[in-house]
Amino acid sequence: MNLKIKFLKFKRDLNRWSLLLLLILGIVTIPILTIGLKLFDGPGESWTHIVDYLLYDYLENSILLAVFCSFIVIVFGVSTAWLVSRFDFPMRKQLEWLLILPLSVPAYIMAYAYAGVFGYSGLLQNLTEKLGFDNFSIDIMNIYGLSFVLSMSLFPYVYVSSRTFFLAQATNLLEASRMLGISEFKSFFKLIFPLARPAIVAGLVLVLMEVLNDYGAASYYGVNTFTTGIFRSWFSLGEPETAIYLSAILLMIVFGLILLEKWQRRHLSFSSPKSSKKNYNSRIKPRKKNQILFSIFCSIPVLLGFIIPVIQLLIWTKQTFSRVWNIEFISITLESFVIAFITSCVTVIFALLLLFFSRWNKIDLLKTSSKLGILGYAIPGVIIAIGVLIPSLTLDKWLIEHKITSKLILNATLIALIYGYVVRFLAVAYQPLESSSLKIDRSLSDSSKVLGEGNFKTFFRIEFPLIRTGLLSAFILVFIDILKELPLTLIMKPYNVNTLAVKAFEYASDEMVSSAALPSLLIILTALIPAIFLNKLLLKNASDS
Amino acid sequence: MKRIVYLLLVSVLVLSCKTEEKKDEKNELTVYTHRHYESDQELFKEFEEESGIQLNIVNASADELIQKMSLEGAESPADVLITVDAGRLYRAKSKDLLQSFSSEMIDSIVPSHLRDEDKQWVSLTKRARVIAYAKDRVDSTQLSTYENLTSEDWDDKILVRSSSNIYNQSLLASIIANKGNEFAENWAQGVVENMARDPKGNDRDQVKAVANGEGDLAIVNTYYIGKLLNSSDKDEVDAGNSVSIFFPNQNTTGTHVNVSGIGVAKHASNKENAIQFIEFLLEEKAQNIFAGSNYEYPVNPNVEPADILKSWGDFKEDELSLNELGKNNKEAVIIFDKVGWK
Amino acid sequence: MQATLNIENLSKSFDQGKVKALDGVSFYVNKGDICAVVGESGSGKTTLIRLIAGLEELDEGEIHIEDKLVASIKKNIAPEKRDVGMVFQEYALFPHLSVLENVTYGIKKSKSKKEVALATLNLVGLEGYEKRYPHELSGGQQQRVALARALAPNPSVLILDEPFSNLDAMMRHKLRNDVFNIIKKTGVTAIFVTHDTQDALAVADEILILQNGRLVQKDEASALYKKPQSIYVASLFGNTIQLNKGLQTAFKCPLKEDCCHAIRNENITVNEDCDYVSEAEVLKRTFLGTHSQLLLKLDNGEHITVVTNEPVLGNTLKIGFNSKDVLAFEE
Repeated sequence: MNLKIKFLKFKRDLNRWSLLLLLILGIVTIPILTIGLKLFDGPGESWTHIVDYLLYDYLENSILLAVFCSFIVIVFGVSTAWLVSRFDFPMRKQLEWLLILPLSVPAYIMAYAYAGVFGYSGLLQNLTEKLGFDNFSIDIMNIYGLSFVLSMSLFPYVYVSSRTFFLAQATNLLEASRMLGISEFKSFFKLIFPLARPAIVAGLVLVLMEVLNDYGAASYYGVNTFTTGIFRSWFSLGEPETAIYLSAILLMIVFGLILLEKWQRRHLSFSSPKSSKKNYNSRIKPRKKNQILFSIFCSIPVLLGFIIPVIQLLIWTKQTFSRVWNIEFISITLESFVIAFITSCVTVIFALLLLFFSRWNKIDLLKTSSKLGILGYAIPGVIIAIGVLIPSLTLDKWLIEHKITSKLILNATLIALIYGYVVRFLAVAYQPLESSSLKIDRSLSDSSKVLGEGNFKTFFRIEFPLIRTGLLSAFILVFIDILKELPLTLIMKPYNVNTLAVKAFEYASDEMVSSAALPSLLIILTALIPAIFLNKLLLKNASDS
Repeated sequence: MKRIVYLLLVSVLVLSCKTEEKKDEKNELTVYTHRHYESDQELFKEFEEESGIQLNIVNASADELIQKMSLEGAESPADVLITVDAGRLYRAKSKDLLQSFSSEMIDSIVPSHLRDEDKQWVSLTKRARVIAYAKDRVDSTQLSTYENLTSEDWDDKILVRSSSNIYNQSLLASIIANKGNEFAENWAQGVVENMARDPKGNDRDQVKAVANGEGDLAIVNTYYIGKLLNSSDKDEVDAGNSVSIFFPNQNTTGTHVNVSGIGVAKHASNKENAIQFIEFLLEEKAQNIFAGSNYEYPVNPNVEPADILKSWGDFKEDELSLNELGKNNKEAVIIFDKVGWK
Repeated sequence: MQATLNIENLSKSFDQGKVKALDGVSFYVNKGDICAVVGESGSGKTTLIRLIAGLEELDEGEIHIEDKLVASIKKNIAPEKRDVGMVFQEYALFPHLSVLENVTYGIKKSKSKKEVALATLNLVGLEGYEKRYPHELSGGQQQRVALARALAPNPSVLILDEPFSNLDAMMRHKLRNDVFNIIKKTGVTAIFVTHDTQDALAVADEILILQNGRLVQKDEASALYKKPQSIYVASLFGNTIQLNKGLQTAFKCPLKEDCCHAIRNENITVNEDCDYVSEAEVLKRTFLGTHSQLLLKLDNGEHITVVTNEPVLGNTLKIGFNSKDVLAFEE
């Protein structure tokens, strides 16, 4: 094909959505690109030292951690999602939303709580002493313990995404499978698991990104990961440039993985089964024995990921309440809620714009690059903070120079902070939105367009009502994440604003973990509100359609 | 949907009220601080009441704050920088983020080895890195120096946290400054060989591990012991009571001390307020709070340390110039990595 | 008469040119005509209509609707501005909207929206159903709603994508006639895709045959049936047997060598009074109600299937065909 025709077609396909996509993509990727470009600046002088002594170990640990966590979150997330959406058993309704709750416990707080449970004169030791064992202890502060703790706080990502898939799933395939003489459980592995792969992967991507950038829990448990390397080169070796360089490498790896994943399921995109009009509201009622078994099985992750850590936090809160409690907590809770709420709205809107602009745009290259927008989730918050600070300060300084403002305007207000949050958490909103929008039959939007409605109106009249569930999951996941977020908040928040996570951190970093319990509990409580709300809507929606 | 929109509107309203509070720029002071102790907040409040100066607190790790300051450049709102170790102040100074300031009051109160030679920063409090040993298993006569920790007696007995911790880095930096690179490397190697387990947890956890019998010696900062003993958790108190404190190197260089310190930002717009603030922090009242509720050693010689600290007795401190800790910090980290101190 | 839809040299490939879906297709459809697009699956039918609707962008060529250029390599008018109506294979009714809301969806005039929608529903025989939701309707009713929805905005061209593939045989027959009666009544130009030639033969004014992305024949129904231009076209309209050397010897019918010859299955009869006759042995009979199907073996070992409504006795019989029924194609 000659160049002129290519150019003509490019000109034809370059519609206003392409331009708008570029704009949105520009806004959300400036910080990421700022970091990515640092690859060309090269690392600092300690680079060879890091490569010689640290990198190999750190990479190995990160990979092991990723593998362990993937395994655990898939086992717990997918199986529980499958059980609650396919079977009926005692406590199912309660378990359905209880399974989301572990997400509300910040990973590093969960790490502290478990260290407390398993540690010196902790819950476990007290319990075993009563049973007559002396000095029984399990060392949880190692890579296995870390994998366990991270998985327990993150598996709900996989649970939520696969449950959304299972609830919308048509029965006919399953019935076909059972007719072929394959038991319910075998069908799960032979049929449902492969079909649900895109949904599972969507959740898993989030889990892995978070696992890769975790610092608090890993450093407390003494496990050195790639992110430890980033922090070490900055905080210990005093070379922020090396830290950014390492982050840029991490970015490339994650982007590569995302593309790889997209590429390897390129043939599968059409095979995602259309949900027939007949949804199964009718869950199978298994035998009594199995019912109890299922209840117990689904309770395990709730127990491990929520109840045990919360009990530990309650014990600590009881010890420290009188000292820590302060009337300020009410206003801090309110502030945290408000900030998280506004930012979640903004983030979800950005995710929607990114998703739909890229769909309406007809240039393939732009479509692929739109994935760049969600990379922020893979980078540690502190690095994102640098990525946000550099461009926003440049703009601020430019404004001052041109006498438009007299002092830092973006960086002294919530604007820069919210911007940072959006960049960081776009993936959390994007993934559930993407998977729920993929489930809508393409012919619906096609027919709307043929009937004379443009992209925008089609979106509001057809797609928006149909992806409501995904929209809400997106909103709540982001909301919870923002409530928990720390490093970005610390460095970018305006002086007079305070959040619960900051409060918890102030105590925890001072090794007053038990005092951090109160703000942590408040985070969990605040996160509960929308989580319960989400569940109600999820259920309502499933029975509606 | 409607409810969400209402909620959003209310939220925006709440926030705009928050940011509307107008401030008199002349009468404020922006503090970038790595310290996030409860007692500090009390102090800040008290300063605001006493002076009528409004404090804007930015709380993050010193390295992040330093990075933020250097990105902000001349527009930086920061007036003072507070860190929890001398090395970071040295780092800020060498990045040209601080400026000299002088105050007779400060010069007269703070011993010279706790001040920067160029008057760019000054210490607020001291902490000593000591050995906490199991009362029931170790006799204090067996202990002598940091150097002695590499002896075979302590094989599988030493508990210490990760080398990413600044206090460990400063300790090794002081050994480098006192005894040279090679010695420091051998020392670190020896400690690693004697470790009871891979480094993990924080200082409190090391003490708890001693209480739990996982090892006999823990290298910790003094104020954590103070806090353990005053914890509202009975088990923490028990853990604190199971160990005794030993000040190493009393007959040689003295026990390693690190400081929490404060410097005036290069682009401070309220330098006078900054000096007033620093003086306030060094006065007896503030120093008493540092000492009393946070178990740090005050730098003001007129102020006594907390009772618990006093009960451990006086000790000779290493009077090595604190800037040396900063200068050797990187080398220390490199050695840690070489010898595999995680 | 002026062409409502005019397509010139249309090409489209997917996967960066690796898969050529359409290759230089040109044709036109006259105003008010119903045109069927027939071809095997993968022949490019769906791509063709999606290009016409504006749901894909072409690689080469031009599309004109009502003399207006709607797509070329320089220009691509969005589907919502093309004045095209479309009935999707699975109807694509909006599940969250009622029947009336579905039908009103595309109507632009704000005043008489409801009247137009109700009138259209009336036209398709669904008065009284306007408050129902799509999942409360049968397949045939959904089909009618989809048709009403596409017709309501009064498009220049109506596209139907495999309109009857989801229906059972009885329903299909009735609905087919109903649907095209309605279409004829409205006078809209229609183009519909099907893999079932019965549909095409029954209702289309003209039939397009696509093979591997190329247009192989365009003709009226009877002409196409009588004079297919290739064995592919012929076999689309019923089983066709190529008269290879073996069969030619069996039936003793020497044919010209430079041509390819074939005979439709239905033209082979159990009858001795034919131009060409052969002996055959019955291997298997299948009773099909009004007729029987026989699997036969000829003298020279060739197998052949024949349909007959006469009772057949014995294990051998004579079959034959007439020379006027022999189809000849250029090779």
